[in-house]
Amino acid sequence: MGRILYAYLYAASICLIVLSTTAQASSINTSSGFNMPPGVTEISREVYSLHMTILWICVAIAVVVFGVMFYSLIVYRKSKGAKPAHFHENTTVEIIWTAVPLVILVLMAVPATATLKKMYDTSDAELDVLVTGYQWRWRYEYLEEDVSFFSNLATPREQIYEAEEKGDFYLVEVDEPMVVPTGVKVRLLLTANDVIHSWWVPDLAVKKDAIPGFINETWFKVDEPGIYRGQCAELCGRDHAFMPIEVKAVSPDEYQLWLASRREAAEAEVAGADREWSLDELMERGAGTYNTYCAACHQPQGQGLPPMFPALAGVGMSVDPDGLRAHKEIVLYGKTGTAMPAFGSTLSAAELAAVITYERNAWGNDTGDLIQPSAIRAMLESQ
Amino acid sequence: MLKVIRSVLAAFFGVQSEANRQQDFQSTSPWKFIVVGVFMTLVFVFLVGFVAWLAAN
Repeated sequence: MGRILYAYLYAASICLIVLSTTAQASSINTSSGFNMPPGVTEISREVYSLHMTILWICVAIAVVVFGVMFYSLIVYRKSKGAKPAHFHENTTVEIIWTAVPLVILVLMAVPATATLKKMYDTSDAELDVLVTGYQWRWRYEYLEEDVSFFSNLATPREQIYEAEEKGDFYLVEVDEPMVVPTGVKVRLLLTANDVIHSWWVPDLAVKKDAIPGFINETWFKVDEPGIYRGQCAELCGRDHAFMPIEVKAVSPDEYQLWLASRREAAEAEVAGADREWSLDELMERGAGTYNTYCAACHQPQGQGLPPMFPALAGVGMSVDPDGLRAHKEIVLYGKTGTAMPAFGSTLSAAELAAVITYERNAWGNDTGDLIQPSAIRAMLESQ
Repeated sequence: MLKVIRSVLAAFFGVQSEANRQQDFQSTSPWKFIVVGVFMTLVFVFLVGFVAWLAAN
């Protein structure tokens, strides 16, 4: 009897040592560990320690419960001549095994509630960012700063289709990261344009749904500069896995420089509609825009995925010389009842003109049509 | 009446002794248990609300 008990305790303590070294190793290397990352904010560290506390409580319960179970199974087995007891109930024991879990649950709930209260306290934020989920990209609008931009997946399609070696940040890299200053409480106002998305960055311990027609609030405060990556955590359609999040925390000075450069870029984009563009310029710009905004559905070579996503190469309005007007309208205003969104409110006049020109001249669609950004701007303004 | 309240409390907790159960099932009508049960549920909801209100203030 004694030997079995010792053997069990010995095995249990070895398991505990292995588990705790795993937990330590994973807290050093969060990207390949099995455990959740401790993260880089006060809240994320609290969440991590809650997670670890509750894990160890569960481990202790498991050791006790399985210990009693296996001890009884082995020591009181039938071949040893054990006789089963015949009783129907024992109120005292039932009360104990109901009350003990109740006490444990309350003990876990107390620190958990304290942390939850902090997570929900979005007051006194110094910076408000409106985050909108789109199929399949995020838009960041810095409400007091007049800065707004889309953040698209930057991983090349060649890596996705295995034509190229996958990079270090495969599917978690974007063209324009969300930049925030360190040491500042940032409030996120989350919503969505089409379907439900979820903004999830494990290192910040933030995972919040972005729901059309609702605004959810959450916040974070990063102390150390760095790049923290995440993904959409609510299945949102075809490219759900291809709308990552990249948060870049920089010093407040660098943040001001970044704001200025964003404003400059936005002004240059608007000014782009004032001048005449050449076909080559439009085709080059259009190819980039097409790959970022259109290729997910209409495919890189314009072959589409019929019947859901129509082909653009060789068929339909994009190759029809009389289809120019309809082509412009569907790109600017979308098509109700289909997955085609209205890009008039998301892309700049230059991007719209370039992408329409590209679609009408690429892949053998040689219509020769050249659409100027100024014409698109006029169309948008007449609305 | 106290016995009925005791039985309802035992049901809330989820543990009832066999002797009590035998006694309760002597009663021919379930109505007093149902009425006291609904009333005690309301009391419980009110208590939880009161504790939350205390914590919030």
